[in-house]
Amino acid sequence: MIDCKHAARLMSRAMDDRLPLWDRARLRLHLLICDACSNARRQMRLLRRAVQRLV
Amino acid sequence: MPSDIRAEIEALRPYLLRYASLQLRNPEAAEDAVQETLVAALAAEKSFAGRSQLRTWLTGILKHKIIDAIRRAGREQPLPDDSLEDLDALFDRSGHWREPPQDWPEQALEQKEFLQALEKCLALLPARTGQVFLMREHLGFATAEICKELGITATHCWVLLYRARMALRECLQLNWFGAR
Repeated sequence: MIDCKHAARLMSRAMDDRLPLWDRARLRLHLLICDACSNARRQMRLLRRAVQRLV
Repeated sequence: MPSDIRAEIEALRPYLLRYASLQLRNPEAAEDAVQETLVAALAAEKSFAGRSQLRTWLTGILKHKIIDAIRRAGREQPLPDDSLEDLDALFDRSGHWREPPQDWPEQALEQKEFLQALEKCLALLPARTGQVFLMREHLGFATAEICKELGITATHCWVLLYRARMALRECLQLNWFGAR
């Protein structure tokens, strides 16, 4: 089982490159049970959309 | 070009400079990119013809100038590396968030003031971290391209992007979402 610190790194990396299968599975499992990390992931996605709008 | 459009372009100059500085992190390079943009705009006056908003049109030209400048500088004089500030402070010893991230309302995206707050937070990022983040998220570079242009490894690139995202999260939580 990975912790939030590890999950946060994987979430960020997943936004830039495809994660290895094993990391993807571990991350998915973590997100199922962790609200804080699910929120963090939504925040990072919102950041992405916001930065695209900077004009 | 009619003089009123020239005046409009001139009025947009501070915005263009801010936009370029945010991504180039070098006042002279930003000034050059804006200058090249204005020259290109005057030369291509006819292709503008009010098809889009002046600001959008100029930003589109400037974006290309910024990409050129990043490529040039990546070869000639890359930005210095940022000091590795300890991001692990975000987590406790057992690897849990010290302050668990909140659910941010999506409506923020529609608010101009939110985008201004974001711009301020972006400007606070260390130079290289900010540049890599905007190359990825604003200019749409793939990480492999960023590595190539800046001569860094993929792992380094992921670390910089991670740090940028975490720092922006904190900055916006503090200055926007938490303050409302």
